[in-house]
Amino acid sequence: MSSPGTGVVLDDVRVEFRSSGRDGPVVAVDGITQEIPAGGFVSVVGPSGCGKSTLLSVIAGLRAATSGSVRINGRTVTGPDRDVGVMFQEDSVLPWKNVTDNVRFPLQIARVPRAGRPRLGPGHRPGRAAARRRIAQRAQEAIDLVGLGGFERRYPAELSGGMRQRVALARTLAMRPSVLLMDEPFAALDQQTRLLLGAEVRRIWGETHQTVLFVTHDISEAILLSQQVWVMSYRPGTILDVVDVDLPADRDASVVSTPRFNALHNRIWERLRTEAMRGFAQENRFPA
Amino acid sequence: MNVRAPDTPGARRPSVSRAPRRPWSGLAGAPAAVVLMVLAGVVAEVGAAAAWWAPDVLPAPSDLLPAAARIAGSPRFWQDALRTGAELLLSCVFGVVAGLGLGVAFWKAPGAGRVFEPYLVSFYAVPLVLFYPIAIVLIGINQWSVVVLASIMTAIPMTLNTWTGLRAIPPVYLRLAASIGCSRSQTLFRVALPAAAPYVVAGLRLGVAYALIGTVAMEFTTAQAGLGYQVRYLYESFDAVGMYAYILVIVAVSVLLTAVLEIAERLLPRGRDT
Ligand SMILES: Nc1ncnc2c1ncn2[C@@H]1O[C@H](COP(=O)(O)OP(=O)(O)O)[C@@H](O)[C@H]1O
Ligand SMILES: [Mg+2]
Repeated sequence: MSSPGTGVVLDDVRVEFRSSGRDGPVVAVDGITQEIPAGGFVSVVGPSGCGKSTLLSVIAGLRAATSGSVRINGRTVTGPDRDVGVMFQEDSVLPWKNVTDNVRFPLQIARVPRAGRPRLGPGHRPGRAAARRRIAQRAQEAIDLVGLGGFERRYPAELSGGMRQRVALARTLAMRPSVLLMDEPFAALDQQTRLLLGAEVRRIWGETHQTVLFVTHDISEAILLSQQVWVMSYRPGTILDVVDVDLPADRDASVVSTPRFNALHNRIWERLRTEAMRGFAQENRFPA
Repeated sequence: MNVRAPDTPGARRPSVSRAPRRPWSGLAGAPAAVVLMVLAGVVAEVGAAAAWWAPDVLPAPSDLLPAAARIAGSPRFWQDALRTGAELLLSCVFGVVAGLGLGVAFWKAPGAGRVFEPYLVSFYAVPLVLFYPIAIVLIGINQWSVVVLASIMTAIPMTLNTWTGLRAIPPVYLRLAASIGCSRSQTLFRVALPAAAPYVVAGLRLGVAYALIGTVAMEFTTAQAGLGYQVRYLYESFDAVGMYAYILVIVAVSVLLTAVLEIAERLLPRGRDT
């Protein structure tokens, strides 16, 4: 399905935080070596605080690894790349821009697609109007893709949390990145909205065939969405288990009642339960 | 997450509750203020006519308004108004630019910010007008000593508010800026400052008010021209009517400034309420 060297390749990635606390440095990510083939959809599940966000920000080029390397489509990551789209755990929709302006923002920053011709002089930029049109068109496509048509002029304060995450998704998709990194994008939403948006992500992935890394702490969401699930441990953050999701590709939420889904769920839960307990015990070792 | 603003004493929280984007709404206070003024005028008129107080204490509006009109027609008034206006404008421009610059600099270099913060915050409480004699010694009795001090008075709330506003922006906005490849200046001007805008505008309102107070007060104490100087001059020459006419003008200017700033604040994009 993919040629070697494409997709996302993690080579012994390690991230330490030097903390001033008594525990010495916190090893958030410890020697992770994994691969997501181009066009693949991988979820990472793990207890909170295990290093999922840290791993994702290293892949996104937002944080340097202490050691090890990340290669995306054959190139070593040294910083943020416009070919890699990130969706954050927190609400990152800019409140002073309406939906359209939020979605256009990264395109304007990137001036994508670039006006091909060179500048001829001040005030004379033949590519400008055309570039603006292309940006507007791309933003509109992304808005329609995530089902936000009709809400273009709305401001974030007027939208529900689920709608705001749709805006963030549209903003990321508008850049047409070949790799999509999503950090618990729907964690703050209610169960129904989360199911709905998960299905949207899966549908969009079916159309675009981007390489997706989806972080979640919800086992069902991970199984439902992805082709492969990485189970992550708590401190140091390593990959405990890699579970291939051998469910039909055109699955919907009804697969949760199948025995196969249950088997996968149980396998992941068994792995996670001990980790979650260990994490809980460590976090609460010194009661405040 | 830890997106709460570090509390800087003295920095004002912005007055955010502007969901609907109607710049004129909420200015419903204006008619009420006019009614109140008319009422006060009637009381003053009746009181003066009934001789409840000496005409020097508070002249009747029927004397005041013609005097004000006469003054408004005199070239001397326009000279003074121009001078005060120029001082005010320059102080605001210098103070706002310096305050923005310092606020951004402290945000970028938190070490420097921590060093200067206590001084800034305590300067907030110092009546800077007291340094006017020093400014006169250093600069001379001219408009520049007024402008320099009024600029500093404007710069302090601007600095504190800009800085506080920048520290209050959700960290995820900056990670977003990094992830979409914003340059340093794009991050500052297209993400950080817009996100901090409610605080910055609150600082601007304070700063302009301080500039006006400072300018008029310093003219009042020692100057050869300006609206504040005229108030003092007329006071010392027992011209109560003329003095009140000037005071009326100064009050009108300050009300106008406040209204303009309020409208400007309402024109900010909406939806910052969390
Ligand atoms: N900037 C930082 N400085 C110090 N420790 C950090 C920092 N960021 C994260 N950590 C620590 O690293 C661990 C992993 O954090 P994170 O990646 O956010 O976990 P997750 O996303 O899985 O909940 C946590 O224990 C957290 O306390
Ligand atoms: Mg996280």
